[in-house]
Amino acid sequence: MAILDRVRDPGERTLAVVLLAPAFALLALIVVYPIGRIIYQSFFDARLSGGHGHRFVGLDNYRIAFHDTEFWTATWHTVAITLITVPAALVVGLGLALLANLPFRRRWPVRLALLLPWAMPLAFAGLIFAWFFHTEYGIVNDVVRRLGAGGEPTMWLLRPGWAFAAVCVTIVWKTSSFMALILLAGLTMIPRSLYEAAEVDGASHFQQFREITLPMLMPSIVVALIFRTITALQTFDIPYTMTRGGPADATETLAMLIHKTTIDYLDVGYGSTLAVAMFVLSLAVTTVYLRRLARTP
Amino acid sequence: MADVALRGVSKSYDGRSDVLHGIDLDVRHGEFVVFVGPSGCGKSTLLRMIAGLESITAGEVRIGGQVVNALPPRSRDIAMVFQDYALYPHKTLFENMAFGLRLRKTPEDEIRRRVMDAAKLLRIDGMLDRRPAALSGGQRQRVAIGRAIVREPKVFLFDEPLSNLDAQLRNEMRSEIKRLHQRLGATIIYVTHDQVEAMTLADRIAVLSGGHRMQYDTPDAIYHRPATTFVAGFIGAPPMNLVDCRLDGDAADLGGVRVPLASRSLAGAARGAALKLGVRPENLRLARAGADIALPAAVCLLEPLGAEVLVTLKLGAAEVVARCPAAFREPPGTPVTLYVDPSHVALFDAASGTALSAPSAH
Repeated sequence: MAILDRVRDPGERTLAVVLLAPAFALLALIVVYPIGRIIYQSFFDARLSGGHGHRFVGLDNYRIAFHDTEFWTATWHTVAITLITVPAALVVGLGLALLANLPFRRRWPVRLALLLPWAMPLAFAGLIFAWFFHTEYGIVNDVVRRLGAGGEPTMWLLRPGWAFAAVCVTIVWKTSSFMALILLAGLTMIPRSLYEAAEVDGASHFQQFREITLPMLMPSIVVALIFRTITALQTFDIPYTMTRGGPADATETLAMLIHKTTIDYLDVGYGSTLAVAMFVLSLAVTTVYLRRLARTP
Repeated sequence: MADVALRGVSKSYDGRSDVLHGIDLDVRHGEFVVFVGPSGCGKSTLLRMIAGLESITAGEVRIGGQVVNALPPRSRDIAMVFQDYALYPHKTLFENMAFGLRLRKTPEDEIRRRVMDAAKLLRIDGMLDRRPAALSGGQRQRVAIGRAIVREPKVFLFDEPLSNLDAQLRNEMRSEIKRLHQRLGATIIYVTHDQVEAMTLADRIAVLSGGHRMQYDTPDAIYHRPATTFVAGFIGAPPMNLVDCRLDGDAADLGGVRVPLASRSLAGAARGAALKLGVRPENLRLARAGADIALPAAVCLLEPLGAEVLVTLKLGAAEVVARCPAAFREPPGTPVTLYVDPSHVALFDAASGTALSAPSAH
């Protein structure tokens, strides 16, 4: 009761409010206000050049977006990149984590190698891979040629399908190490004795992986998937530096379309509408993941 | 059930420091053998080598007459109970116990029968749908034992299974394991650092120190006829008193006090040789009986245990502990006379620590 009395003490409550206020103020300033402002802006025609000034248009921007093929194409690219690169990065990352968890005599070079792609800036990775996939000077075509595949060199970044595949490969390379780091942390938490017990019980290596590693790694996998999916929905830097969204918008994502609409076309109202659409998409995916996470034992 | 034989089993890591040195040991069919020794003596490593969880550097391990050196754990038909229980946290108790049987493609109704039988035996049959996190330490250990039982293996291996439990639970589980052995008649190899567990559970005890087998015998022989000063000091609580002395004719000279060693053969001990005289605390008495000899001593410390009192006494230059009746209440500094029957005295070579003469009676 004494504790409750203390909490009910108005002085204490004031102190609590005062102590929490800076955090709330900061949160309001950098999260709540920008989101609110974007939602507000999405109801206006706010073209900075060639428009009719700042004019309230209600749901017009949303109606336009609904009939805008470029918006649906960019959304589909974003979803496709997410659906392809997130599971691929999970599989590659899991493989890398299992590899890094092997009893190497020296572990730090392995872990450093794992960290490097993650530490590299996204735009940097995009530029490097743009060179890798370069039609004439790229290492990819060089390897293909050396392996004996003759004929014309593939124009990786100039054909829609190949360009999309190249962007996905780059994203998987860049993001697998992040997955691997989270999964490696999870792997090191699994007690060695569980594998020994399973070995004595008669489990093969594959059965140990299926019966112990995977179920015990599930919380780490869900966390890694949440982080990776949210960042995949925001994909911008790699396709921007590799293809600028081309050829013919084949690799344009929602984030790139928002950037183009707002920065290149100076259409802040419609850009905000697209940003709200991306926000809703991210929110929906996060909610699904968090519900799944809450169910994980 | 099967017998286990170790022949010259050695272990070294990276070919450098030896962890185990040529261990020879036979475990008979249905026998309960305990490996006991201090931390780092190699007892768990030896058990893990029998299980197949550690490679064997040299020597041979046979289970049921078959050399198993090259066999993986799953092909050795053993079951192991781990110190940290090693229960699969995401599986229910039933699934934990059934796991090994399912991997061996045992029919589902047979699995159910065996798991239920083991669960009833271990009194965990009412909680088989729970997960390990919902159990107490003692219950988890029961599940770990149940997981071993359902497999009906040739040999059970226990790696310090009680060391994570509190004292009371440890005593209860110790009795249960003993009862279980009596009921199943299984071949069990059990590792512990607790000499009370070793004494109470074992048919035979292997005392290990520094990777060497110091003695392998029945608990009775280990207690009353220790082969080395290490065994004498490790087994027994409080341990055997070891007092420096010299051989003087047919007596041990404790610095003025002579303990006659008549009718003992002391092969290899020359006159004046440095010896250690060993006597268990319960064999130092405050009242004369029979052929006892008298030793002048002084009380140093009293440690009452309720049923008895442990009295630390100054005997010449040494300190010894005597187990005395609870009524003994002489204050520190009081001179007393200790009585010891010379036939209860063990003698060890002071340099090597090996026994020269065991007590002739106990």
